[in-house]
Amino acid sequence: MSSTAVRRTLLYLALLAGALVSVAPYLMTLNASFKTTQGMFSTQAWTPAHPATFSNFSSLWSKYDMSGFMVHTLIVSVAITIGQVVFCSLSAYAFARMEFPGRDLLFWGFVATMMVPQIVTLVPLFFIMSKLELADTYRALILPYVFGTPYGIFLVRQYFRTIPPDLEAAARIDGAGTWTILWRIILPLSRPILATLATVTFVNSWNNLLWPLMITSSERTTVITVGISALQGQFASQFNIVLTAAAVALVPLIAVFLLFQRHIVRSIALTGLK
Amino acid sequence: MTTNSPGLATAGPSLSKQDAPAPAVAAPGRRRRRIRTTVEAYLLIAPSLAGFLLFLVLPIIGVFVLSLFSWDLVSTPEFVGLANYRRLAGDGAAWTAVGNTVYYVALNIPAQTVLALALALALNRKMRGVKVFRVLFVLPWMAMPVALGIIWTWAFDPRHGAVNHLLSLVGIVGPNWLTSTTWAMPVIASVNVWQYTGYTMLFLLAGLQAIPEQIYEAAAVDGVNAVQRFFKITLPLLRPSMFFVLITNVIGSFQLFDTVFVMTQGGPGTSTTTLNYYIYQQAFQLFHAGYAATLAIVLFVMILLVTAGQFLYFRKRTVYDFS
Repeated sequence: MSSTAVRRTLLYLALLAGALVSVAPYLMTLNASFKTTQGMFSTQAWTPAHPATFSNFSSLWSKYDMSGFMVHTLIVSVAITIGQVVFCSLSAYAFARMEFPGRDLLFWGFVATMMVPQIVTLVPLFFIMSKLELADTYRALILPYVFGTPYGIFLVRQYFRTIPPDLEAAARIDGAGTWTILWRIILPLSRPILATLATVTFVNSWNNLLWPLMITSSERTTVITVGISALQGQFASQFNIVLTAAAVALVPLIAVFLLFQRHIVRSIALTGLK
Repeated sequence: MTTNSPGLATAGPSLSKQDAPAPAVAAPGRRRRRIRTTVEAYLLIAPSLAGFLLFLVLPIIGVFVLSLFSWDLVSTPEFVGLANYRRLAGDGAAWTAVGNTVYYVALNIPAQTVLALALALALNRKMRGVKVFRVLFVLPWMAMPVALGIIWTWAFDPRHGAVNHLLSLVGIVGPNWLTSTTWAMPVIASVNVWQYTGYTMLFLLAGLQAIPEQIYEAAAVDGVNAVQRFFKITLPLLRPSMFFVLITNVIGSFQLFDTVFVMTQGGPGTSTTTLNYYIYQQAFQLFHAGYAATLAIVLFVMILLVTAGQFLYFRKRTVYDFS
């Protein structure tokens, strides 16, 4: 074998090892969710679950409102995702393409707040939500994120700026207004970035722990992160139960990610640094 | 809005057609158009702006106000002046949390950045399966940190975990990771390195792909070796990507909470109590929300200083085009 072939093989082996480290925890978790308590402690993480059992799922569902957790989280995440995509697109277009007084000041004001740690806003936000008597409601979970985040506006604005302005100029001559241009030209060309924003937003909302932990307290608003971390405290040593819960929480994320991975990988390459 | 925009749209071009031959009326026409654009633009940003003012700007002002109050989350806040700040000066636990946070960032960021760079270099070539590898490496990024905390608690379990079992195969008796004050923080850092390396790699890969091939070809003609090529060409030209990645990752790392909350609850002792976790404890377990606001300002200032430092460092060495 020539030295380049050897090097190529070594590179592949290293990449394969890395990929295995990336994926193995998911597979072992899924595997563990089908193991019995006994099998859990007598076999290794990579030993296939045999005999496979659904008892972890049934005991999880009988003790906890797992479906409820998932539905609550889904409602919140979908609402936030729709809002983000709509409102970020609208303001990103104004920031990318329109001339108006205060534009740069406002845009950089938005961007600068990306430096503000979440906790800085969350403690006062708790106060505001309590005063508005919105504590422990879906509205409290949705409102702070639904109108678009600085990150989302930044991401979409950067992408809009890569679309050739000539397309718009041509449409303007043909008599198209801002709304028509946005709806007919800009948005259809921006599907990859909107898919990315939607995925990132959905993932972040689904995974969000800190704010729901602070603002919700009752069963009817418990989201999956809060539900699972409570469960972890209770069944810390029953790995088959808590791992099953983790697997259940991860499945929708993996589905969404695999559905949109092509867009995400490409959008980051396109807009990360333009 | 959809129904009345065609009306608005036709007004624009027809105005400009009228204005073109007669400069005397051009000024008011253009001005009217400018006012209309401004109104339209503000309508477009109105929802985001409202959300921004109400849920971001107002709370940021609020945190400074709240830091002057004593508040138990339920009763009416009571004005205490600078008492929270005096308390901060004498609160050893708060400064331990600051130290833990810095320690975590120092463990996490270099490891993650170096690994991500190595991965990006490995994947920045034409070969079979590159796209599949990219997706596999990004897969950990979207995992729920709470679920990850559970999974890695299991992996690092001294008796039933995969890590110690693998170590035992090569004759090493692994420690009791998460109950060790020495190991708990490195374990938490490694979980986050595992989660974010692939995502960071994507940004660096985009940066690598933006470097023109001709530069390398010219360097090859000049007999530049691989080490020189990396340090004199690749790394300097990668600075814009590095800048972006470091700024965002450092800001994120300073806010570590979820994995600590699930894996160690700040322990053993206070060895994994990060500032973010300490703030949460103060506000929602001890009901010292006013003091928590003061601590949040400390975290804010830390992030501001470190970010400003990075800006200054990179500004001297790179031209970064944000626009």
